[in-house]
Amino acid sequence: METSIMIGIRKEDDDMPILEAHKIHKSYGNKFNRQEVLKGIDIQVDKGELVGIMGASGSGKTTLLNVLSSIDSVSQGKIRIEGKEFTNMKDKQLAEFRKHHLGFIFQDYNLLDTLTVKENIMLPLTIKKVPRIHAQKLFESVAKDLGIYEVKDKYPNEISGGQKQRTSAARAFVHEPSIIFADEPTGALDSKAASDLLNKLSDLNQRREATIVMVTHDPLAASYCNRVIFIKDGQIFTQLHKGEETRQTFFNDIIKTQGVLGGVNDEH
Amino acid sequence: MMSINQLILRNLKKNLKNYYLYVFALIFSVALYFAFVTLQYDPAMDEAEGSIKGAAAIRAGSVLLIAIVTVFLVYANNLFIKRRSKEIGLFQLVGMTKHKIFGILSIENIILYFSSMLVGIFLGFASSKLIMMILIKIIGIEEVAELRFSNEAFVQTIVVFAVIYIIIMIMNGLFIRRQRILSLFQVSSTTEEKQIRVTKWQIVVGIFGLGLIAFGYYLSTELFSGNIVTMGALFLTMITILASVIIGTYLFYKGSISFLFNLIRNRNNGYLSINNVLSLSSIMFRMKSNALLLTVITVLSALAIGLLSLTYISYFSAEKTAEENIVYDYSIPNLNNAALFTEALEVADIDYTETTLDIVNVSANLSNIIQEMEGVELEFDVSMTNMVIASDGWVENLDLAESDTVFVNTNEAMMQFIRLKESGEILLSGETTSFELNYLGHEDVRVLPFRFANGGFPVAVVDETVYQQLKANLDPESQGEFRQHVGIDIENLDDLQEAEAIFQASGIGSWTAHESQLQVINNQKQSMGMMMFIAGFLGLTFLITSGCILYFKQMDEGEEEKASYTILRKLGFTREDLLNGIKVKQVFNFGIPLIVGISHGYFAVKSGWFFFGTELVYPMMIVIVLYALLYSIFGILSVLYYKKIIKEAL
Ligand SMILES: Nc1ncnc2c1ncn2[C@@H]1O[C@H](COP(=O)(O)OP(=O)(O)OP(=O)(O)O)[C@@H](O)[C@H]1O
Ligand SMILES: [Mg+2]
Repeated sequence: METSIMIGIRKEDDDMPILEAHKIHKSYGNKFNRQEVLKGIDIQVDKGELVGIMGASGSGKTTLLNVLSSIDSVSQGKIRIEGKEFTNMKDKQLAEFRKHHLGFIFQDYNLLDTLTVKENIMLPLTIKKVPRIHAQKLFESVAKDLGIYEVKDKYPNEISGGQKQRTSAARAFVHEPSIIFADEPTGALDSKAASDLLNKLSDLNQRREATIVMVTHDPLAASYCNRVIFIKDGQIFTQLHKGEETRQTFFNDIIKTQGVLGGVNDEH
Repeated sequence: MMSINQLILRNLKKNLKNYYLYVFALIFSVALYFAFVTLQYDPAMDEAEGSIKGAAAIRAGSVLLIAIVTVFLVYANNLFIKRRSKEIGLFQLVGMTKHKIFGILSIENIILYFSSMLVGIFLGFASSKLIMMILIKIIGIEEVAELRFSNEAFVQTIVVFAVIYIIIMIMNGLFIRRQRILSLFQVSSTTEEKQIRVTKWQIVVGIFGLGLIAFGYYLSTELFSGNIVTMGALFLTMITILASVIIGTYLFYKGSISFLFNLIRNRNNGYLSINNVLSLSSIMFRMKSNALLLTVITVLSALAIGLLSLTYISYFSAEKTAEENIVYDYSIPNLNNAALFTEALEVADIDYTETTLDIVNVSANLSNIIQEMEGVELEFDVSMTNMVIASDGWVENLDLAESDTVFVNTNEAMMQFIRLKESGEILLSGETTSFELNYLGHEDVRVLPFRFANGGFPVAVVDETVYQQLKANLDPESQGEFRQHVGIDIENLDDLQEAEAIFQASGIGSWTAHESQLQVINNQKQSMGMMMFIAGFLGLTFLITSGCILYFKQMDEGEEEKASYTILRKLGFTREDLLNGIKVKQVFNFGIPLIVGISHGYFAVKSGWFFFGTELVYPMMIVIVLYALLYSIFGILSVLYYKKIIKEAL
């Protein structure tokens, strides 16, 4: 089953983006007290891209990521991943969709306390009913890539924050999803652990051609991306492409744009 | 600036949602206790109390009730205060002293505790009326229940619950003292100490636990086998049984279950299905606290099943015992008195059948067919014991050869102490003549009331000719007080009440051994009624409390694991996937203590059931099935609760 998906991706590599969002709107509240958080956003992400999303606090980054990743529903608009539109799928179909196409990394790790590192990482494989032997191989390769093979039998409360986040990343990569969503993956890490993780992520991004969409506050984290999208007031403010620049110059560009954008979103 | 009073009020309002569990536990406990005490002080009870020394029983029951209610409330309070540990940390963070926090909590608690108590007392009063009516129906006291509000009961309830309140406040004080500001920043799940790694030790611990349980079971079978004679030794053995079974259960849970689960888990080598994730690993994760809780639940279930079984056994057996004991509707061991009664029956135009038998005692040598039971000292000489004989003509469908004999009239309780072989030779002797006969086994038939057959000792059925010869040759020395027995059966069930009235009016019943089966049944039920009621009441209380404790625990776990459900749903597990996993978990959580509890209860009942009645299997099965059904209601409730949590998780 996997191989067929892989082949499918390769074939349509060039002409079809992995993620395609068209005019998405998202509002919270009821008829009388309505807050529109996303106001018509268009996004395309191609295969193998590492895309950053930045913006002031409260600008709607998490909301955007949640709707893109099918965890929250949109009020208006269409989202397609690998050509499959899921904006009007039922709960069960969505779950099915997530388990085959999506991977997640969260700021606060989101590991199950009751499971060991290995068991946590293998969860997506069990859901997909990947055969045991194959699952074992997938686990070993990703755990070694991320440098957590040594702690595989420990429980989350026995390992460091950086190790937890790498475990979370391993869980996102292990089943080779079409796209991985990360919400401030470095938010809870110190700068050493953060750059450690970012190096690993961009490494995996290149070697496995994994597509990653990452929300972040941190310009350093953003500088690892191929492209950074800035959100303001629920709309795309601007985009920066890394192109052939070095990471340092890209980092400087990002800082500048942030300055233009302003620190905190003013609440009206 | 908010005053402390305002703070208390606001907190109270905000927490009422959290409190509802606690409030429910309180109201329930108070209502139960008050109902029980009200019944105790009710004048209508005097009759019952007087008749069977029920006062002592009811007092013992109320002590047990206090113990269980205390455990229940302390547990509910612990859960509740745990949920608030963050809040307490926050108070500390803003500079409130622990003293002050304790003060706030105490006042908050007083308001809540005592207002729930009043509600509970009201509900208890209302329900005690209902209970009284049920009770009267069981015992058959004719008096109409006219419950009054009992001041004594009221005061007693207040005193008992005030003491429990003090205990709870002490627990809360200790909790606050231990509370560090740090806990504010920790996830609530770390407040419970958790057992994660499984060591080799646990195998040993688990096996040791199983050993203790087995030892307890073994002792329980020995308890009334006749080996243990003095009251002191009996008491000591009971305590040993209790201790070894309870400790064994705890160690079993702590060791074996973790070990077993771990085995399954290791075999999976990281590849855990959703069912395993939600059941195995979740249960293992909390095994330390679970072990204690499961032990409490198991013991409560065993107690409840034991009490309810014994109760039902006695009720169920009341008729059967009377039928076995009396055999006929009326048993009159005197020809003249029998004639008086039958004449009266004829006058009243009631059809009856009359069976007149001669009671013949012979000397029997049973040494060939009585099997020696280890440790049982028989109180008679097996080679020369008195035995009543019967002719094969008295027993339907039985025609024996002159050389054969069959035993009938056996009594279950008696058979606990005498074990008969399948076959063998016995010798029956009159004054001068003796017969050597082939014993062919015993049959479940009754020909004579037990009291005329040496109190439940078997009766030997022999061929009519042998019977006549022994009867002609009887030894006057060994004959009982009664030589003849007239059994009278009323043909028509509808006439039974009228016949009974005639029997009572004639005064025949006042002679020794002149008995009416109906009256014996009624007496039996009445004297059992009180015990039954208390046992039933306590049994149900245990059931409800153990169910509630488990349910509360599950609610708590559910809240703790909510974050996990969010993650799992994000990963693509559907709600059904999760719910199925939860169902498996609940089967373990509720099933394990239930099965172990049933097993404990079975051995407890088996050790002494024959003091209560004549039938073990049927009543016990009924009780177990009912118990399991009622108990699973709590399991289903907890699954429903989880369903809600899972739904809210994403
Ligand atoms: N469930 C919700 N109900 C109502 N309003 C919400 C909800 N979630 C988010 N919002 C609102 O939507 C806006 C955007 O929130 P969002 O979490 O997307 O911001 P963000 O860009 O991720 O901020 P941060 O950088 O602080 O994480 C905020 O004003 C927030 O108050
Ligand atoms: Mg956010």
